[in-house]
Amino acid sequence: MKLNEKKFFALAKENGFESADLASHESNSLSISIFHGEIDSFTNNNSYELVARGIYKGKMGSISVDYVDKNSPEFLVKEIKRAASVTESDDPVFIFKGSEKYHKKNVGKNTDFSENIQEKVGILLEIEKKLLAFDKRINEVVTVGFESSSRAFKKTNSYGLKLSQKKNSYTYFAEVTAKDGEEIRTGYDVFASFDENEFNIDTFVEKVAKDALDKLGSIQCKSKKYPVVLNPDCVATLVNFLIGWLDAEEIQKHTSLLEGKLGQQVFSKKLTVIENPLEKNLFFRYFDDEGVATNKKYLFKNGVVSTYLYTLQTAAKDKAEPTGNGYGSGAKAKADVGYVIVKGGKKSEEEMLSTIKEGVYITELSGLHSGMNPHSGNFSLQCAGFMIRDGKKAEPLSLITVADNLVNVFKNIKCIANNNKLVLSNQMSCPSIFVGKLPISGK
Amino acid sequence: MINKNQALRILNSGLTTGADYAEIYIEEKDTFSVTVENGKVENSGIRHSYGAGIRLLNKLQSVYGYTNEVNEKSLTKLIQNLSASFKDKQSLTLEKLVTKKAKNLSKVEQSFASTNDQQIIDYLKTGEKVMREYDKRIVKTEVSFSYSVAKVQIVSTKGINHLDYKERGRCGFMCVAADQGKIETGFEGPGASAGFGYFLNNVDVKAVAKEVASKTIMTLEAKECPSGKMPVVIGKGFGGTLFHEACGHPLEASAVSKNLSVFSGKIGQQIASPILSAVDDGTIPNEWGSNNIDDEGNKTEKTLLIENGILKDYLIDDFNGRRMGRKGNGACRRQSYKYEPTSRMSNTYICAGKSTPEEIIAATKFGLYAKSLEGGQVNPVTGEFNFGCSEAYLIRDGKICEPVRGASVIGTGQDILLKIDMIGNDLELAQGMCGAGSGFIPVDVGQPTIRVSEMTVGGNGGEIK
Repeated sequence: MKLNEKKFFALAKENGFESADLASHESNSLSISIFHGEIDSFTNNNSYELVARGIYKGKMGSISVDYVDKNSPEFLVKEIKRAASVTESDDPVFIFKGSEKYHKKNVGKNTDFSENIQEKVGILLEIEKKLLAFDKRINEVVTVGFESSSRAFKKTNSYGLKLSQKKNSYTYFAEVTAKDGEEIRTGYDVFASFDENEFNIDTFVEKVAKDALDKLGSIQCKSKKYPVVLNPDCVATLVNFLIGWLDAEEIQKHTSLLEGKLGQQVFSKKLTVIENPLEKNLFFRYFDDEGVATNKKYLFKNGVVSTYLYTLQTAAKDKAEPTGNGYGSGAKAKADVGYVIVKGGKKSEEEMLSTIKEGVYITELSGLHSGMNPHSGNFSLQCAGFMIRDGKKAEPLSLITVADNLVNVFKNIKCIANNNKLVLSNQMSCPSIFVGKLPISGK
Repeated sequence: MINKNQALRILNSGLTTGADYAEIYIEEKDTFSVTVENGKVENSGIRHSYGAGIRLLNKLQSVYGYTNEVNEKSLTKLIQNLSASFKDKQSLTLEKLVTKKAKNLSKVEQSFASTNDQQIIDYLKTGEKVMREYDKRIVKTEVSFSYSVAKVQIVSTKGINHLDYKERGRCGFMCVAADQGKIETGFEGPGASAGFGYFLNNVDVKAVAKEVASKTIMTLEAKECPSGKMPVVIGKGFGGTLFHEACGHPLEASAVSKNLSVFSGKIGQQIASPILSAVDDGTIPNEWGSNNIDDEGNKTEKTLLIENGILKDYLIDDFNGRRMGRKGNGACRRQSYKYEPTSRMSNTYICAGKSTPEEIIAATKFGLYAKSLEGGQVNPVTGEFNFGCSEAYLIRDGKICEPVRGASVIGTGQDILLKIDMIGNDLELAQGMCGAGSGFIPVDVGQPTIRVSEMTVGGNGGEIK
C-alpha cells in the first residue's frame, strides 16, 4: 500500500507544521548461498522504509515506519508532534526547498532476477567446485553466494521538491578455509557491480583461494618499529577516520582534531582525497538525504584540509553553504560522504616495495570499534599481512598489532603507489601507501 | 497478527513442494529514543515497525523471505513463492494449532508503554548534569535512553501458535574529555529486559555518570600502554567480552554444525583451564540478553557450556541442529522479522571462582590490569580475536599502579582459555549489542576478575619498562 502523501502534507499544514518531508526506500533482493553442492539458503525480500519529518513550533520531529496503511497520515503527524515537543535544542532546523541544479544520471540496469535463478545456482556450484580444485590445501568452502538487489529512493516535501533515484547491484561472495597440518586460515572476497558482465569466475576463484593460501605459515614477527606499507583496504579503513574529522558538527563542538585547520597543511603533500558521488558506479548519488545536490570536491588536496562537510544545520551555524553531505534518516542529519578517491601516485606497488629492505605489509586491520580512538586518532589494532624482505613480500604474519596516531601516519607518507582498487566496504578507491616506520607488536 | 485459522491455511499452502518445516514470525515493535546533550534534549526518534518473516526448511535447505504486509493474502503469496524453491512431494500436513502464551520471565514494573516521555528525560538529565559538571575538561556529554515494546507471534508446523510480549530499555552515558590536544571518550550502557521501573529502582544514573566521567578523565591523564607479552588480569563484568568473542561465537551451531569452528567435535574434551566453567543462560529474569522463548518458539535454557575446562555443549538452533543430530536448545535469535534466525548467545558468562580480586592482583608481579573492555572481534574458524581496553592499569609487584590508555589485547581463543590460571569470586554481568549473521541482538557478557598467564598486548607506549 502507498502512503497518501497529499493527505499527509495537508494534515501537517492543518496541525501547524511549518514544513514537512517524506523519504522512502524500497528494495527488492534475492540471495542464494550454496554449501556442499546444495542450496543452503535462499532469501527473497521486499522491504519498505519511510521516514516522515516535520518542523513543529521551531523543532524538528521525525518518525520511521516500515509499513503504511490508510491511517498512516494521521499517525505520522501525531508522532512527529510528539517527537518535536520533547526536543529542546536551539539549533536551527530546515526542510530544504531544493538546489538550483541537480546532476541526475541513470545508473544500473533493469533485470528480472527471478527468471534466471537456476543459472545463478549453476554459477555458484561451478565456483564451489573450482575453489576446491584450486589447491589441495583448500579443505572447505564455507559459503558461496549471490545477491541481486534493486533499490528506489524517493524524497518529497511540502515545498514541492520531488527527487528520486533507482539503483541495482549484483554481488558474488565466497569464503574458504585452507588447511596445512594443524594450521587453518580463511580467505574471502566479494564482487559487486551494477553490471553483471564484469564478473569473471576464474579471477574471483583465484582471489578467494589465494587469500586463504597466502596466509598459511603465518608467524608473529619480532616486536619493533618497521617500515609499514598499508594495502588499499587498510588505507580506506584509516582514511575514513580522517574524513570523519571534517564533520562540521564535530568542529563546532570542538571535538575534531581539524578544528581551525581549514586551508592548512595537516598531512603529507602526497595525500589528495577527492569525493565524487557523481561518478557512475554503485555508489552514485546526485542528492544527499536532506535533498541537497551533491558535487565533486577535494577533501584534502596535497595534504591541505580543503573543506568541512556541512549539513543544512551546521552550514547555517557557520553561515556557510551546505556541501551535499547530509545523510541519515532521523530528525537530524549527520555529515557523511559518497564515493571517495584517494589519489594514486606514480610508482607501481612492486617499485614502492623494492625500496624497503625489511618491513611489514599490512593487509588486514581489525578491532576498529575498540582499538581506534576516533577523536584522538590514537590506535592499537590487531593486524595481519606479510613481511617485506629485500623489497619483496615474504612470509605471512598474523596476530600482530600496530599502534600509532592517524595524524602521524598520514603526515609521514613516504610513497603512494598507482594501484588504485575499489574498496567496496568503504565506498572508496584507494592505492597502497608506504607510511614510514610504525611500532609493530608481535613476539 | 493473524488468527489460528489463517495461520493454518498459510502454513499448509507452503508445504505442497516438500518443505518439512514452515514457520511464520510476526513482530510489531515500537521503539523510542531520546538524547540529552550538554543539558538539552538534542533529538528524539520514534519507530514503528510491523512485518512478518517466513521460513521453510527441507532437510538441509532453508528458504526465507519477509514482507511488511501482514495479511493472509500477502503471506500466502510469499510462502508460495518461497516454496517454489523445493521440488519434492508433500510430506507434511498441519492439522491443528494450539495457542501458547509465553510466560514473561521479567517483572515489568511501569511499562514503557505507559511511561511519559518527560519522565525519561528528567531521569537522563539528572545523570547528564553530574557528568558535565565533573571536570572542566569534559567538553561533550551525551546521555541517551532507548526502549522497545514488542509483540511477537511465532507459528509453525510444530503445531504451536506462540504469543510473546517483551520490553527492553537501555541507557547510554557518553562523554568526551579534551586537554592540550588529547581527546578521550568514555561510555557505559546499562540495560535490562524490563519496564522503566527497573531503571528507577536499580540504575543510579548519578553514580553511573560519575563513573564514566572519572574513567574518561583518568584515561586522558594516562600514559600510552606499552606493548609486548605479559600476564593480563581482566576485570569483572564487561571483561566477559573476551569469553564472548574467543569462545562464545565458536560454540554457536552455525559454525560448529558445518565443522567450521575450532571447537567442532570437541564435546568431552579439555578445551579450557580446569578451573573454568561457563554458562549461557537466556532465562535470567530482567537481564538484557534474556528471552521468554527463543525466536523459533523454543523455551530458553540455561546451558552449561564448559565444566571444569571440559566442553559440555553448544548453542543450537533447530536448523543447524539437523546437521548435528540435535534439537535446538533455545538459542535461536534474530534482530527482527527481516533476519533469518540462527544460533546466538544470550547471557554468557564465566562462573565465579575461589580467589578474591585482591589475591589475583597480589599474585601478579608485572602485568596489565584490563579493568574494563570495549568490544572485540573474532574469526570463529581460526579462533583469532582482539579487544580493546577502555580502562587499564599496569600491575607492578602485586599492586595496581599507573593507568594506561590505548591498550588492545589479541590472541586465539583455544590458547587463552587454557592459560586462565586464576578466577575471582566477584561475578558480574554487563550489557552490550552483538552483531552476527542474524543481525544485532542484545546480549549480556560476564565474568569475575580473571587472570590469563600470558597475552599479546598492543599499545603505543613502546617496550615494557
